[in-house]
Amino acid sequence: MTETSSLNTNETSEPSVEATTNQSRTGQRNEETPETWVDYEFEGEPKMSVSGLDVHYGSDQALDDISIKIPEQSVTALIGPSGCGKSTFLRCLNRMNDRIRAASVDGTVTFEGQDIYQEGLDLVELRKRVGMVFQAPNPFPKSIRDNIAYGPRKHGTVQTDLLAKLTGRDDSEQEDEIVERSLRQAALWEEVNDRLDDNALGLSGGQQQRLCIARCLAVDPEVILMDEPASALDPIATAKIEDLIEELSEEYTVVIVTHNMQQAARISDQTAVFLTGGRLVEYGETDQVFENPKSQRVEDYITGKFG
Amino acid sequence: MSYTTESELVVDDTSTAERIAGAVVGLGLVTFAFSLVGVAQVVTAETTVLGISLYDFLAGGLLLMGVGTVVLGVGSRVGTFTTSPDATPGAVTAALFGFGAFALAGLVASQFLGLGTVGWLLGATLVGGVTFAGVALAPEDIGSTLPPGVAAIGVAVLILGGILTPAFAWEPEGFSATLTGSMAIPLVLSASTLVTMWGGAKAYEGYGSKGRQTAAYLLVGINAVSIIAVLVALLLFIASKGIGPAFQDFSLVPFEWPFVTNGYSFRPEVVNGVFPAIMGTIWLVIGAVITGVPVAVAAAIFLTEYAEQGRFVGAVEIATNGLWSTPSVVYGLFGYAFLIPRLGGTTSLISGMLVLGFMLMPLCLITSREAIKAVPDEYRDASAALGVSRWETIRSVVLPAAMPGILTGVILGVGRIAGETAPILLVMAGGLRDDAPNVLGSFEFTSSQPFVANEALLESAPALPYQLYATITAGVSAENAAEFGWATAFILLVVVLSFYAIGIASRIYFRRRLNA
Repeated sequence: MTETSSLNTNETSEPSVEATTNQSRTGQRNEETPETWVDYEFEGEPKMSVSGLDVHYGSDQALDDISIKIPEQSVTALIGPSGCGKSTFLRCLNRMNDRIRAASVDGTVTFEGQDIYQEGLDLVELRKRVGMVFQAPNPFPKSIRDNIAYGPRKHGTVQTDLLAKLTGRDDSEQEDEIVERSLRQAALWEEVNDRLDDNALGLSGGQQQRLCIARCLAVDPEVILMDEPASALDPIATAKIEDLIEELSEEYTVVIVTHNMQQAARISDQTAVFLTGGRLVEYGETDQVFENPKSQRVEDYITGKFG
Repeated sequence: MSYTTESELVVDDTSTAERIAGAVVGLGLVTFAFSLVGVAQVVTAETTVLGISLYDFLAGGLLLMGVGTVVLGVGSRVGTFTTSPDATPGAVTAALFGFGAFALAGLVASQFLGLGTVGWLLGATLVGGVTFAGVALAPEDIGSTLPPGVAAIGVAVLILGGILTPAFAWEPEGFSATLTGSMAIPLVLSASTLVTMWGGAKAYEGYGSKGRQTAAYLLVGINAVSIIAVLVALLLFIASKGIGPAFQDFSLVPFEWPFVTNGYSFRPEVVNGVFPAIMGTIWLVIGAVITGVPVAVAAAIFLTEYAEQGRFVGAVEIATNGLWSTPSVVYGLFGYAFLIPRLGGTTSLISGMLVLGFMLMPLCLITSREAIKAVPDEYRDASAALGVSRWETIRSVVLPAAMPGILTGVILGVGRIAGETAPILLVMAGGLRDDAPNVLGSFEFTSSQPFVANEALLESAPALPYQLYATITAGVSAENAAEFGWATAFILLVVVLSFYAIGIASRIYFRRRLNA
């Protein structure tokens, strides 16, 4: 949690060695590769940066040579047809793909300049800083309070167990603050503050999804990855989530996968369009991508001619 | 015309056919219930209902049902009743009816017509074959009412006409068993009633898919009720035999229940009790749960959450299933040959606990594994995305969510081991005693290794199922062995059901915590 803590617990390792070997592979790409427009320039250092990312599930290629820079405190939307690798890409950003045995990842992904696929990376620290919200709301079958406090408790940020109480190190007040702050940030506090000890499964779908966002905020992330967070929700709940995302982008870096192009146009600052074959075809400012796409294929996709 | 291809969308008038069919089914339910009770010999030929002998009364009911069913079928065919039957009742119905006709005709031909083997076999095959062909070729209304109706009338006539009487006896060659009339009559009655009710239920809905649905529903429903009836009958039977001796000298104020609170003192002036055996059984179960459940749950966690799903896990799965179906006496023999020489050389409480613990392990492993597998992956993903390690996730999310399922396994397993006799016979074998095993009181600290000692664990202790076996078969106690045995059985049932109740209560508690 401290400013100085590094993702890399193994200070001596050299992050760039693996990356160069991987990038050399991209030179073998065949000549028929369609043209891509991914050189999006912005001010300031990128929060996360990806270069030459290839992902294979067994022998299937899910992502093909993805390079992208994600600016800080903004909303980046990833759009594209089903099966184009958006979700896979998102899951590479906090290494959730590690949980799928068949997945192999080549290339570099950096978070604030540090390679997150290097040896000695602290996954706990990475996922604390790069949080994730899933497609279907997935609160734990616990009380609302326990859901929010789950991360801080497990990371030792707050200690409220019996031993802590007996030894006088009880952090209940601090925990209450975290719960309230997270729920307020997720625009859920007003609706649930009188029933924090009720089971979270009793909330509506939209409330559950905002609870999941609050749970993610409780560990104080810097980047929030969202995998179609509103696709399982009704229009009103969706609108609330969208408002929430816009608010969050003032403080956090949000990367959101969505099927809904209107949604991407409404809430994102920049948009990346993935097309079939796991390829990033165009990346740029949202207005430019939607109103004046450089790629013919992207224009076809956005205007509904295919996809 | 009854044989329509298009059935009405709305049929709401209660027709004559429905009334007749309702009467057939209602009469059938009563007859069936009485016949079942008759099979259990609770009511016999001597019982009279409304002044008529029971069997005649039931046969009369069956006769009415048979006539009603035939009327329903014929009425539907000639167009008196509006129905929508299919073209045929189906091959399965035909085969079952053919087989039933074969059996019934065989019985009549061999027992009442006195035909020889060739004669009855020929006659039965002929009747069975004709029935099969007839049913298969007939339209659904005739095919599914006429055969059961005719059979019901026939059976009723056999009984009412005094041909099949309680005095009837059939001694099949090669069997030492005798089928007496008092057993045969209720059996034939119940079977015939069931089939006739099925036909009546079909007729009630006017045949077709709706008719088959209602008929199947009726049979399945009767089945479910019968299972409950068996359970209740068993409980009542044990209770009726056991409650008397178990509550000997019982008084509420001041509370005295000598059978439960006394030991077996071999003195005639006091009530002998089963307190030591109750405590023995409770200690056995506690010991077995402590030995078996943690190991099983840990193994389930490893196999489900950590191990690579492959050949190794498959082999463990097969081994576990094999262990679960291993006969309990084999476990007992293992304890006898392996544990006892290493644990003091005599039969002992701790050997019993360990053997029962081993028996508990496979079932708990299987059910825990299923329960852990059933926990949605979304929980694991959510936890991993928060940066929580795998073990912490298992401990705080997966296990609580799997808890009700794990407890189900423990409940089932405890139900099995608490009443287990064979292994106890070999590894514990405590006789009738006056004092209960004092496990807590005999813990001692010693100055030499292993620094703790417990005499009670190393001695044999009595247990309810073994004591029941000993008193009933060997007549260990003196004159009232049978009474003592029934009372023991009753108490054993109560103890096992109490374990069930505790398990189910804790499962409900954990489920409540998971659900809103």
